[in-house]
Amino acid sequence: MSATEPIVYVVDDDASFLTAISRLLQASGFAVKTFSSARDFLLHRDEDVPGCVLADLRMPVMGGLDLQSALAQTPNPMPILFLTGHGDIPSTVQAMRGGAEDFLEKRAPKEKLVDAVTRALARDAHERKARAYRNELLARFDALSQRELEVLSHVVQGRLNKQIAYDLGIHERTVKLHRTSITTKLRVQSVAELTRLTQEAGIFPVPAQTFPKGQ
Amino acid sequence: MSLITIIWSMLSSACLTLAGINLQIWCKNPKARANLLFSLAAVSTAAFAFCELWMMRAETTTAFATALKWTSLPGWLVSLSLVGFVRLYLRAGRPWLAWTVYSVRTLALLLNFMVGQNIIFMEITHLRHIPFLGETVSVAEGVRNPWMLVGQLGLVLLVIFVADAGVTAWRRGNRRTALTVGGSVVFFTIVATGQSLLVFWGIVQAPITASLFFFGVVAVMGYELSYNALRASQLDRELKVSQAGLREIEERMSLAVEGAHFGIWIRDLVRNEIWATDNWRALFGFKKTEPLELESILQRIYPEDRDAVRMLLARAIENNGNYQAEYRLILPNGEMHWIASHGRVEFDAAGNPILVRGLSHDITERKVAEQETQNLRDEIAHVGRVSMMGQLASSLAHEINQPLGAILRNAEAGGLFLQDASPDLDEIRAILDDIKKDVQRAGSVIDRMRGLLKRHSIEKRKVEVGELIRDVVALVRADAVARRVKLDVEIQDDLPLVSADRVHLQQVLLNLIFNGMDALDKVGRQDPRVRVTAQLDGAQLVEIAVSDDGHGIPADKLVRIFDPFFTTKPNGLGMGLPISRTIVEAHGGRILAENNNGGGAVFRFTLPTLDVATK
Repeated sequence: MSATEPIVYVVDDDASFLTAISRLLQASGFAVKTFSSARDFLLHRDEDVPGCVLADLRMPVMGGLDLQSALAQTPNPMPILFLTGHGDIPSTVQAMRGGAEDFLEKRAPKEKLVDAVTRALARDAHERKARAYRNELLARFDALSQRELEVLSHVVQGRLNKQIAYDLGIHERTVKLHRTSITTKLRVQSVAELTRLTQEAGIFPVPAQTFPKGQ
Repeated sequence: MSLITIIWSMLSSACLTLAGINLQIWCKNPKARANLLFSLAAVSTAAFAFCELWMMRAETTTAFATALKWTSLPGWLVSLSLVGFVRLYLRAGRPWLAWTVYSVRTLALLLNFMVGQNIIFMEITHLRHIPFLGETVSVAEGVRNPWMLVGQLGLVLLVIFVADAGVTAWRRGNRRTALTVGGSVVFFTIVATGQSLLVFWGIVQAPITASLFFFGVVAVMGYELSYNALRASQLDRELKVSQAGLREIEERMSLAVEGAHFGIWIRDLVRNEIWATDNWRALFGFKKTEPLELESILQRIYPEDRDAVRMLLARAIENNGNYQAEYRLILPNGEMHWIASHGRVEFDAAGNPILVRGLSHDITERKVAEQETQNLRDEIAHVGRVSMMGQLASSLAHEINQPLGAILRNAEAGGLFLQDASPDLDEIRAILDDIKKDVQRAGSVIDRMRGLLKRHSIEKRKVEVGELIRDVVALVRADAVARRVKLDVEIQDDLPLVSADRVHLQQVLLNLIFNGMDALDKVGRQDPRVRVTAQLDGAQLVEIAVSDDGHGIPADKLVRIFDPFFTTKPNGLGMGLPISRTIVEAHGGRILAENNNGGGAVFRFTLPTLDVATK
């Protein structure tokens, strides 16, 4: 399979169920990898390959919730779908708080399962794209110097060069030079675009109006 | 009156009195021939004394000779009655010797009347007067009759006969009588014979006083007879007392037997007859006059119990046995009764069974009460299991959902495979196999659950302890996983089988494991574990232990932990452990709780191994 083809990771301690669900998912057109324990999965998954996790909530040693929190620590957390045989309310609540993608009864209809997996994979793809974009964005901002960041913070507040020069105690021409450098480094054409990117990158705590003077 | 007259007449009257009493006894009881013979001897002694007195007072030789002649008759009678008395009384003495004594004495009597003036003297020539007891008495002198020896021979033979009989009686153990009767007869006969020999051969000048010695014999005989009469009346009294006692015991027995509604039956194995009390007939539903046969009795027994009772009876007769049984009867009116019987077989000297005595009573009430108690116990145990099912519910749902989910996924996958242009039949076959396995898996979970939910009383079967424990662990595994408790199972190899009721023992184990897990919940350990172990305890017990590493049991609660309604859990009913104890004890085992050295509690219970339980 190609590197970009998403994989459905299924984690369940019940061998028979594992076989059955992997058959169904494969027949439904998904690439599937099965693991009989959460630990095994955490050791052997490929972080860079997109996908989602389908895990039994109840497993010996390391249960579904443990897996969820372990996954959350990783840089590329995959969406996690829980399989449950029964309505275990406290576990469900905890799982939802942890950002579970969905809950599926073990005997949920196939369509619901396939939809949920498709949705999870789409979310993963989306999240991966978003993460990639944001990473790229952050890399652009990383290129800015400390002074440029200071200038930027004033610019996105809509302040004039004159005001910025006064506030920072520098010459207005210097402010202009910084602004040119910023737009080049961040590859933007307009102040509006600059403001949007800054917000997307989440560089400054929003809103920035309370930014203290003299900094 | 002279001393001689006084002595001799007293002697005679004493003899006559004794004779009269004993004659009367004989008249009332003709079987008492000893009394008749005694009277004869006493009368003869009196007659002898009379003749002696006659001789002592004789004035002429003729009178003396006549008196002497007549002494032979009572003398002969005394000998005869003595022989008869000894034979009768001592039940000894040689018959030929007795007949010899009779013959010789009779011959002497005949000679007495035929030869000379009497058997002592051919002719009395003159009388001499000699002093005796302060008086002058007559003694004879004359030509002696040599035939006198025949009479004296007879007396010697009499002594020999009596001595011989005495010895025989002595040897037989009848020592007192042998000594008194035999001894006195021998002694007095020897003395009397000796005296007459000395007198008649003229060695001693004295009158004949044989009656004195005969009286001695008579006195001893009289003593013996009256002693016996006394003893007889004493025995009679004792007999009456003991008979009265016996009747009293019989009365009490029958009162007790009737009061307790006991029925008694006796089966004569020799004549093949059966006798039974009215109570017994009422118990078994037989009319008072209805003839009884073993087969018709056995037919009254509830068919399921019949063969067992039949075998029990046969075995009791074959071995030297008592039997004891509890069984049901179906009476002709359709009523069912529980009967308890016990009985004993009696054997003759050769060891052949001759009769069977049996006692039966109705224990229906007790049995019904027992059954009710048992039902109640079963009901409580059942309630315990149902409430435990509540705890198990989520675990069981998981256990069932797992295979059901697998089945559904497999079926859906199979449906998709079939949509292919060329379906992979091998894969579809594999899918169907897996579905079959999962159906069985789900089925076995349901079976286990149903087994626990069913209400049933204890039925002991052969149980393999390891399998039992593994089954229970399979039931709680999912629950343990949800509670993050690890279940360790350790079963000794080659454990013997136990006789037990699976479901009830599963209940005990489930209860103990749940308790262990509950204890761990409160502690919040890093690596919570419940250990279930089984091992041999001695040769006759299997010990199963469930331990946890929780908080343990506070010492003050340890003693009460098996009490009903005693609980340490906020939502506990306090019935789990009392039910467990009832179940374990119904299996002949024991259960106890203690604290582990390393913290946590351990519950141990024992079960007797199969070969012990069936003994």
